[in-house]
Amino acid sequence: MRALVLVLISALLVLCAPVPSPGQAASLRMAIGRDEGSLNPYTYQSGYPGWNLMTLIYEPLFAPDADNIPRPWLVRRYTVSPDGRTWTLALHPNIRWHDGRLLTADDVKFTYEYVRSHTHSRWTPQVRLIESIETSGATTLVMRLSAQSGGFLMQPLADLPILPRHIWEGVAEPRRFNDSTGSGPYRLAEMRDGQFYRLVANDAYFGGKPKVREITLPIVRDATVTFTALRAGEIDTTSRALSPELVAEFEKAGGLKVVRGAGYASTILQFNVEHPILKDVRLRQAIANAVNTRLMVRLLLLGYGVVGSPGYIHPDSPFYNPSVAFAASKSRAVQILNEAGYIDRDRDGIRETPDGRPLRFNLLTLAGNPIRVRGADLIRTWLRDVGIDARVVAQEDASIIAQVWPDFDVCKGRNFDMAVFGWSAPVMNRATNLRDLFHSDCRYGTINIGGYKNSEVDRLGNELAATAEPARQKRILYEMQKAIAADLPVHVLFYQDGIYAYRPERHDAWVYQKGQGIVNKLSFVDPPRR
Amino acid sequence: MDSAVWRFFAGRGAQYLLVLALTVALNFALPRMMPGSPLVFLAGEDVGFLDAEQRAQLYALHGLDQPRWRQFLTYVANLARGELGYSFQRGRPIAAMIGERLPWTLLLVGLSLVIATALGAALGALAAWRRGSAFDLGTLGVAVFFESAPPFWLGMILIAVFGAGLGWLPIFGAATAGQALAGWALLVDRARHLALPLATLTLINVPGTLLITRYSMLSVLGEQYIATARAKGVREQDVLRRHATRNALLPVATVFMLNLGYVASGATVVETVFSYPGVGRLLYEAVLNRDYPVLQGTFLIITVSVIAANIAADMLYPLLDPRVRRR
Repeated sequence: MRALVLVLISALLVLCAPVPSPGQAASLRMAIGRDEGSLNPYTYQSGYPGWNLMTLIYEPLFAPDADNIPRPWLVRRYTVSPDGRTWTLALHPNIRWHDGRLLTADDVKFTYEYVRSHTHSRWTPQVRLIESIETSGATTLVMRLSAQSGGFLMQPLADLPILPRHIWEGVAEPRRFNDSTGSGPYRLAEMRDGQFYRLVANDAYFGGKPKVREITLPIVRDATVTFTALRAGEIDTTSRALSPELVAEFEKAGGLKVVRGAGYASTILQFNVEHPILKDVRLRQAIANAVNTRLMVRLLLLGYGVVGSPGYIHPDSPFYNPSVAFAASKSRAVQILNEAGYIDRDRDGIRETPDGRPLRFNLLTLAGNPIRVRGADLIRTWLRDVGIDARVVAQEDASIIAQVWPDFDVCKGRNFDMAVFGWSAPVMNRATNLRDLFHSDCRYGTINIGGYKNSEVDRLGNELAATAEPARQKRILYEMQKAIAADLPVHVLFYQDGIYAYRPERHDAWVYQKGQGIVNKLSFVDPPRR
Repeated sequence: MDSAVWRFFAGRGAQYLLVLALTVALNFALPRMMPGSPLVFLAGEDVGFLDAEQRAQLYALHGLDQPRWRQFLTYVANLARGELGYSFQRGRPIAAMIGERLPWTLLLVGLSLVIATALGAALGALAAWRRGSAFDLGTLGVAVFFESAPPFWLGMILIAVFGAGLGWLPIFGAATAGQALAGWALLVDRARHLALPLATLTLINVPGTLLITRYSMLSVLGEQYIATARAKGVREQDVLRRHATRNALLPVATVFMLNLGYVASGATVVETVFSYPGVGRLLYEAVLNRDYPVLQGTFLIITVSVIAANIAADMLYPLLDPRVRRR
């Protein structure tokens, strides 16, 4: 009986196995942490790996390369007018949707207009600047912008995936629409909510042959189980970054390879700059001096990370200003506090303001994230050493957001003292990142959750948003980093490295995209030839 | 049926309707009392970049711009038409989402309940019968251990030993992802995936029944009719089986019926550890995502099944225990 079952199983396995063509890996099992809707532009969920997986099925006009520089993808040639406001794009002529129809300039125009009228948090703001789109023939289109823009190439051109007009026309509620017909190197062959996705290589792909024949994406909710499954060979890789304490073990394990690279996601100590006491820049400087970020990287990340830069920008970014480095010193912290008149007058171990209010703050941190919880606890200890009382409050994400960023709307104010917080990698890559983070007008400083105000930073931010030339962008960002480092509206603690493990025998052509990781289009298909 | 029986059932019916009405109201209120906004799950991660008008549009699309009382009326009206609505996050009809998850949960939790009850009752009866023996003390010790073991931890241990260590069983999911199986191979695949979550859940649930049975059995064994039976010269095995166990199982039956009502709620922790696609995990994710409609829908299904199990218990109990039959 048992033998019969085994024979049946093996027969089925043989029958079902996908047939790879030469030079193509047969199949790959990559665990992901959560559902990603129907992997179409309106239902995918996470920025990483959701957006990246979705762009295997639906493709933007350009695509960021390994250094996050946008390169033409569906577009074969393009020109920009000298004033930066007219973009002429020519598409590859032979791109087909998964149902066999041609992808044309008309689909592109439709998509850009569709996301304007059907709100999508990621793309509706990105297309605001577009005044008009005209097509000429099947492959050419001209976009006119109302103003020059620093980030237009990255967003939306390398970000917004093109939708098939013949399927999406007339769809009124896109977030309830679950079609997955795209034009990308992979087709969604099968999907089970809460269980898995199965992607199969698109043989008719215009850009060449995808590197893996079939990708299965099982959803594994728990991180520990994910890494156990990887060790046990039940999966071949995962979109989850390996936690620092597992790195040594996985590097030694047979059959597994570990890659590591810069991580653009930040972990920050966010101040409420409007707080009656924390609004004093000297106090923020003292706190920053008391927090030993070097030791944090060693203790929490076991060295797999980079100490935070006070200007926010990661040292590996082309826009990093190396002159804004920050070296913490406890004695300097004490000196600043003493000079500013924060003295412990009642001898209870906690300093008071000159008018007698104790330096006592709540420090919010994310309960489900052990690194942030331990980080908050270290900060509490170090602040206690210099006479500041921080009470760690660990809560789940939605509760923290409700206090730090009510309704995700900076215009609605804030209700917290300090928080161990963080921004994901794409924030670092946005051309207008420091304006988004620090502009005092909540319409522009959309993620200025601390309520920071500095007119010089505002002015530079506006200039940044209207600058398309990289050298000038860099100069402006240098100035902004200097101003922010002096004011410390946030204290950047560290940037955790991206560490990923995989079985090279299954697939070894992974590309590490700077700041992000290995789950990106380049790991699965080479850029199309012009 | 005579009028007393009618009155009894009418009274019970009114009680259950009241409970149902209360839970419908609570289902609406509780999710909305949690801190945090569902906006990010309506719009996606970059919700911070939307302007005020677009936010307002999103709220309006999902009826969240309406005053609470009006949202409540809409919810009740939809419910009356049998509509559970759409998931904020997933954009799919909630009835379909629960429908997909329910069979997995019924399989896992239902099977575990049956096994745990049978095993617990048998072990509990034996332990009581041999009270004070090494078997009794050993069983008691093991039972107390598993009763206090956190499900999460126990699941991890089983994964480490039988999944990763020995490599006997798969450690996540309910089926091998993306493989089309049929017939025997399909059954074997499902069973292998079921093994570890089922074992975890069963190990945790056996002690409850075991301890109740043992206690109940001990008190029955002290009754005079047992002494009478023994005095009549009934064989000890028959005393245990026919006289003691049948009576001792009454509280076990009660607990079983109560638990039956909760089968549909799934086993949140075990389903999450093993990435099992059940109702419990759906519920857990809906809480994290502030997915109000999914929370309302799942709570409603759970409430209805708990009430149904209670009704069933009410009707079955007189059959099991002649003492509560009414005239």
